[in-house]
Amino acid sequence: MPEDKKKTSTISPKTPPPAALNKVEKENEVNRRTFFSWLSLGWVAFVAATGGFFTMMLRFFFPNVLFEPVQTFRAGYPDDYTVGEVDLRWKEKYGVWMVRNDEGIYVLSTVCTHLGCTPNWQPSAKKFKCPCHGSGFRMTGIHFEGPAPRPLERFKISLADDGQIIVDKTQKYQQEKGQWNDPESFLKV
Amino acid sequence: MDAFKSLINYVSNPTILFTAVLVGFPFVFPPTNWFYKVHKKLGIDKLWTKKGLIIMVAITVAFFIFGLGDDNFKKIVLKPDNVPISGLIILLIFFTWLSLSQAYKNDKLIDEGKPVDEYYEAPNDKVLVWPDLVYVELISLILFSAFMLIWSIGLPAPLEEPANPSESPNPAKAPWYFLGLQEMLVYFDPWYAGVVLPTFIIIGLMAIPYIDTDPNGSGYYSYKNRMLSLSIYLFGWLVLWNVLIVIGTFLRGPNWGFFGPFEYWDSHRLEALTNVNLSEIIYIKWLNMGLPSNILLREAPGLLIMFLTFAVTPPLLARTALKSFYERLGSTRYTIFVVLMIFGVLLPVKMYLRWFFNLKYIISMPEFFFNF
Amino acid sequence: MSDKKNIFERIAEGQIWKSIFRGGGAPKSRRQRMMVVLNSVFLHLHPVRLPKHAVKLKFTWCMGGLSFFIFLILTISGILLMFYYRPTIEYAYTDIMDLTEQVPFGIMREIHRWGAHAMVIAVWLHMFRVFMTGSYKPPREFNWSVGVILLVLTLLLSFTGYLLPWDQLAIWAIAVGSNMAGATPFLGAEGPGSSLLAIGDINFITKASDARFGLIGGRFLGEATLLRFYVLHCIGLPFIIMIFMAVHFWRIRKDGGISTPV
Ligand code: HEM
Ligand code: FES
Repeated sequence: MPEDKKKTSTISPKTPPPAALNKVEKENEVNRRTFFSWLSLGWVAFVAATGGFFTMMLRFFFPNVLFEPVQTFRAGYPDDYTVGEVDLRWKEKYGVWMVRNDEGIYVLSTVCTHLGCTPNWQPSAKKFKCPCHGSGFRMTGIHFEGPAPRPLERFKISLADDGQIIVDKTQKYQQEKGQWNDPESFLKV
Repeated sequence: MDAFKSLINYVSNPTILFTAVLVGFPFVFPPTNWFYKVHKKLGIDKLWTKKGLIIMVAITVAFFIFGLGDDNFKKIVLKPDNVPISGLIILLIFFTWLSLSQAYKNDKLIDEGKPVDEYYEAPNDKVLVWPDLVYVELISLILFSAFMLIWSIGLPAPLEEPANPSESPNPAKAPWYFLGLQEMLVYFDPWYAGVVLPTFIIIGLMAIPYIDTDPNGSGYYSYKNRMLSLSIYLFGWLVLWNVLIVIGTFLRGPNWGFFGPFEYWDSHRLEALTNVNLSEIIYIKWLNMGLPSNILLREAPGLLIMFLTFAVTPPLLARTALKSFYERLGSTRYTIFVVLMIFGVLLPVKMYLRWFFNLKYIISMPEFFFNF
Repeated sequence: MSDKKNIFERIAEGQIWKSIFRGGGAPKSRRQRMMVVLNSVFLHLHPVRLPKHAVKLKFTWCMGGLSFFIFLILTISGILLMFYYRPTIEYAYTDIMDLTEQVPFGIMREIHRWGAHAMVIAVWLHMFRVFMTGSYKPPREFNWSVGVILLVLTLLLSFTGYLLPWDQLAIWAIAVGSNMAGATPFLGAEGPGSSLLAIGDINFITKASDARFGLIGGRFLGEATLLRFYVLHCIGLPFIIMIFMAVHFWRIRKDGGISTPV
């Protein structure tokens, strides 16, 4: 303490006198209080800016237009398909199986509901068997073995004015949601 | 010969192989004093002597050489992308031995009250980086580069048919280092095995230093004083990670079926895989009624089990079996530790439920893609 | 001693050599040997002195150093591969074939691929060593966590590279892997809870806006996927892993060098 006093008493002309020192201190105190609100404001701004920046970066990865193959195609006439058979002709190009039974035609997706491999149609066993992890699906698309958690998806099917079948892959129907009862998931023939 | 082969085929069935590993593990890598005593009494610690190493490597190499005489074995093991895994097996044996042999040596030194092998008295405890370290580095780099060159000239990198999105190969496998996870895909849905589980593995690994807070045992190999944490880590790393990779690589064939190492990969082999959900077992088999249409009611048994596992088990254990743990770690660390452990234990539990009860899901809500 | 100097000594004491290697001359004295390390930006990654046990192979297995060395091999061989490889569905596969068949020293692809496998193994074994010596304990907890991130990045680098040959092996491994992203809880179109993120009939998480889409740049594996993985593999992930490696190495020094028994 005594030393402190000594210091203040031997002030060189360049350093401010004690009174001024006090004043600075007071201003500092006020400053400290306002400073904290400025600090929080600063933080809010910083977080918002960073968040905004990263949102922008994230959004950047989701383009507005996709250059992907068309999702709607004409699949010939209903009579092209045999009753009781799985038709493979659009598998390669559009990734669908056309199945015709006694009542009509439906379109099954060739994407395994487990992890997206392409199952193979085994006519002898009358099932779709997925080579990746062994899921099996019946002709209807219902899963019955292996790790697949749900049935294959079906796509929208309808008739054009000229009698041709139109398959629309943008519209899908999931059995577990009860959507296979939807009239558009099935073409009565 | 053939009898031996079919015996190997038989015991490498995951049910048997995994059970054997599970039962044998605590005796080889004892987690507690009791197991440690049995471990010593049975003489298993002799594995970590020079003789032990020679025997372990000899058996492994002999098995591979013997196996290469078999066409099916040869086809799988010599597949270019599988070669590193054969190497990994040998490396794992060697490095597990290397660390544990030093650890046991140090354990003995500690028991005798002597400083550990890594300890040097000051001022003779330091060496200069130039030349002592740089030379070691230089030599390792040269040897390793030579090894890489020989490997690259000797083994062409695989390139299969051009990609064809409508023709899945059978079986289709992830890169080998993910095959442990892919093995989990057989027992869990992708959201869990492929996303949640890896996240927990990463978090769990990062959490290790914050859960194992015992400051002793850093900077030297040792076993006895760190028994529990070493045993848990080795179980996760050797069994849940590497054994599953080996199974996924060598023993998973067409349709993701299980094939012994000497078995022909027959893609037409029939396998009854009809699995049932817990709700079906309870409501249909036991109660003889249909499944309730209300989802929550239908899945009530599974949800109840999960609730018991995650909300009731940890506090229960804190009061009983793990009481000393709880007091040492404090509630936050304890909770994180126990929950991570439960996630770890759930893996083998679900595997066994599948093998013995054909259980598909404990909770099954395909409506929300939520199956567990 | 004759005052005639041999050619090496003359070079080592000449102006050019001295200007490049500060101090010059062969590092013979203790002081010179310390200065060699301090004066070189590369060697300065090391401390000047280190504990005796740390230079023994049986302690570190040299696995951390090897991981780093393999990373350098992969960087160099990867850059060389980039001179021939075009990341489009039309060319990718044939470019890879040409790399083995038409390019001199056609083992660059092998070096890169086997190097990638070796790096994964080396990083695993390094982590194994670090655990066995208890080197994750204070004060090295944070560096262990940085290490875990390095491990994840190593696996991601390997995974993104796996797709580039665009062969059957590649696309199905990636198909299976990326479909898992589609099962991410809440953020994947086929993940639990994603249907809860909806207002009325409008789903926010669809096949065209979920985590899987972000990864593969489309609803199907295709051109966009190849490009995304290529950029991540060649630029994005190496850039990130280098930052974390810098932190890792820096922290080894700051945490008191290699762990030592007390
Ligand atoms: C790209 C991957 C990695 C590289 C290049 C790398 C490099 C290194 C190097 C050169 C060392 C010096 C000692 C030695 O060689 O053992 C080291 C030490 C260390 N590494 Fe890594 N590492 C990597 C990944 C990891 C991982 C996956 C972990 C753990 C999860 C980890 C945790 C540590 C720790 C804790 C130390 C300090 C060890 C001690 O002081 O004894 N590193 N690392
Ligand atoms: S992708 Fe079909 S069973 Fe896994």
